[in-house]
Amino acid sequence: MAKNRLLGKVKGSYLFYSGLAVVLFFIILAVFAPVIATHDPTAIDLNNIFAAPSAEHFFGTDELGRDVFSRILYGSRISLFVGFVAVGISLIIGVFLGLIAGYFGGWTDIIIMRIVDIMLCFPAFFLILAVIAFLNPSVFNVMAVIGLTGWMGVTRLVRAEVMSVKTRDYITAAQVQGISGRIIMFKHILPNVMTPIFVTATLGIAGAILTESSLSFLGLGVQPPTPSWGNILTAGKDNIMFAWWLSMFPGLAIFVTVLGYNLLGEGLRDILDPKN
Amino acid sequence: MIKKFLAVLLVFAVFGCGQKKSDSGAEPEVSRKRAIPNAVYGDAVVVSMLGDATGLIYNITSDSASHDVADKIYNGLVRYDKNMNIVGDLADSWEIVDDGKGIIFHLNQDVRWHDGKPFTAEDVEFTYKFMIDDKTPTSYDADFRLVSKFEIIDKYTVKVSYNEPFAPALISWGMPMLPKHLLQGQDVKKSPLLRRPVGTGPYKFLEWKAGDSITLVANDDYFLGRPYLDRYIFRIIPDTATTFLELLNGSIDIMGLSPLQWSKQTDSNPRFTSQYNKHMYLASSYDYVGYNQKKPMFQDKRVRQALAYATPKQDIIKGLQFGLGVEATGPYKPGTVWYNPNVKKYDYNIETAKKLLAQAGYKDTNGDGIVEKEGKPLKFELITNQGNTVRTSICEVLQKSWEKIGVKVDIRVLEWATFINEYINKQKFDAVVLGWNILNDPDLYDVWYSGNCGGQKLNFICYQNKELDEQLIAGRKEFDPQKRKEYYFKAQEILAEDQPYTFLMVPNALVAVSKRFNEVRPAPAGIGYNQEDWWVEKDKQKYSFQK
Repeated sequence: MAKNRLLGKVKGSYLFYSGLAVVLFFIILAVFAPVIATHDPTAIDLNNIFAAPSAEHFFGTDELGRDVFSRILYGSRISLFVGFVAVGISLIIGVFLGLIAGYFGGWTDIIIMRIVDIMLCFPAFFLILAVIAFLNPSVFNVMAVIGLTGWMGVTRLVRAEVMSVKTRDYITAAQVQGISGRIIMFKHILPNVMTPIFVTATLGIAGAILTESSLSFLGLGVQPPTPSWGNILTAGKDNIMFAWWLSMFPGLAIFVTVLGYNLLGEGLRDILDPKN
Repeated sequence: MIKKFLAVLLVFAVFGCGQKKSDSGAEPEVSRKRAIPNAVYGDAVVVSMLGDATGLIYNITSDSASHDVADKIYNGLVRYDKNMNIVGDLADSWEIVDDGKGIIFHLNQDVRWHDGKPFTAEDVEFTYKFMIDDKTPTSYDADFRLVSKFEIIDKYTVKVSYNEPFAPALISWGMPMLPKHLLQGQDVKKSPLLRRPVGTGPYKFLEWKAGDSITLVANDDYFLGRPYLDRYIFRIIPDTATTFLELLNGSIDIMGLSPLQWSKQTDSNPRFTSQYNKHMYLASSYDYVGYNQKKPMFQDKRVRQALAYATPKQDIIKGLQFGLGVEATGPYKPGTVWYNPNVKKYDYNIETAKKLLAQAGYKDTNGDGIVEKEGKPLKFELITNQGNTVRTSICEVLQKSWEKIGVKVDIRVLEWATFINEYINKQKFDAVVLGWNILNDPDLYDVWYSGNCGGQKLNFICYQNKELDEQLIAGRKEFDPQKRKEYYFKAQEILAEDQPYTFLMVPNALVAVSKRFNEVRPAPAGIGYNQEDWWVEKDKQKYSFQK
């Protein structure tokens, strides 16, 4: 049974499990941030700045005396939210264009794929920087820009899959029955190309979180006083010689989260790969 | 030298800017040449800048990086000495004539441009005409436009006349002089001098690696005597944390420290204490919150006063500045003659602030924590520039503090060029946290006169007050310091009462200077005013250069 074989593979995949554990852990932290947090993440205490980690402040305090532990908790909400929404935007655009290009072929395909090539010519991060410089930095702009500049890989992937799926007999059968292109695309082809999309999306979330952190680090992402891992790190950078906890903990949070999504993605790929 | 612009972006990098050469005493002919007993030539000084210069003609740039470099290359006719008195620079002496309406400058006759041509009255005339030319893109033309007549009396004597007495006239001639023979009839925006300047100053231009460094070399023919150090090197390091690491590494010689570095990262670090001395003095600048008077909510004095009462100045100084600064109450530096200590003060008091808001008609009617008047909630955007972490922190403290009186603030931190061009110059802001340099002359005309309201002008918050205008105009025409003081004392009372700005603090300048330099002597003018006198013993010299 195919289902049993899949389950067997899931059981054996340490990658998948460790990734899933990390991802779930951070999702729980984000969801229950208000419950877990020991302090108000924006409460300023100028008499207690740069306090080292202690029982009162697990991860110490920052340049305004705010609790770093609570800020990282709330920052995880931003990171995950940006990750999911940005990847969602990339997926919608990427899958749609990939389906059209792969299914119709010909000029449609050529035009879409050349647009993809053009977009890929720009180094992604600099493109994002340029666009953000025109807009005002905010969480929503960051999500939109990361999403709108990250769909090209998805399009290529989906197009390739569609081109192989559309030559299968059941698609030909559907076409012969006179079923409309739209229905074939979305009902018959899409479900059969979901597997690689799933893997790409998981890996994409890791990339989006990293991009959001980088932008916030540069002051172009989430604006103060809203905490984000990237902007906590900015303060850390200025004081790294002296207040290591300000760089260490947000850095670790980013590192572990990104690693988690990557492990999950790789694990999924192994499990879903029919050749394994 | 005059420095008027908002260059305070680089608050840490601004020290002793503009004051040159040694204090030479009253008898120019005999003692103006540099002569330090036992001093030897050689070595170099390496300083850091956060940003690259935009161009090296002082008169048409307004960023502090360009000015810091150009300052070493050019001279004006007069300058400030270490105690902030006006003394001769290119002019050996001057006479005030025609009841204060004219000045005659007697120029030094030994001055040569870096290319060897002599400096004469023609160059002064050229510089004057250059400054008032509509095609010249300068922000410093206002003082020169008041000149009614410019005469060359002989090759080394000029006379300038004004229609009425103008107190800041003399120091306005501290503007760097430009070479007529190189700029006459040229489009200055395309002049090669922007990249390869030719001045009269103690250092000559040698090399500019864009985004990396600018190197100046000692001017052997300098009319006040060659500086002792062979080179003056500006390194561009766009980040204070990196700059500090370079400092610990010994690869730069002077750095303006942040309060945090000063109090927590220096004394305990042997790498620092073995190489550097620390110098602290009150900086000539202040930070403030400015309220755009074009916004209806800020037109009510009581709202501005309420915000002032709800501003925890002491906490800001203690927490963000580590106590290294003093409260500002107006646009002058505490301890100077122009400073009026008896103005209305706004000690932190939430209750008074709430009362004032209520009097102004602001009440929280819908229970959302924000006060409203006629249905409009009192909320606005507070902007500041990126790259100054203290200012960003100030914004966050104000946001939290003003929340307590029901005022909602959104913060936006903007990149410098966008901040100036898109927001300040277009007056597209509600409130702003920013700083001004405090000039030695008390004239407040540029920043506070009603007529200077507008984009690109310095009264960008558009504060207009007839009573203040009268004081400012009268103060400009008065030469007697005692009488002048009265006008500016009154002006400070008006500003304190009206609170168009909430004056926050005057920070301390915190400077680390390499121990190997001799003659480093902080004074009211800062630390760099006698840089040409600095010298290093042969065995301590760090850099050597081939001729």
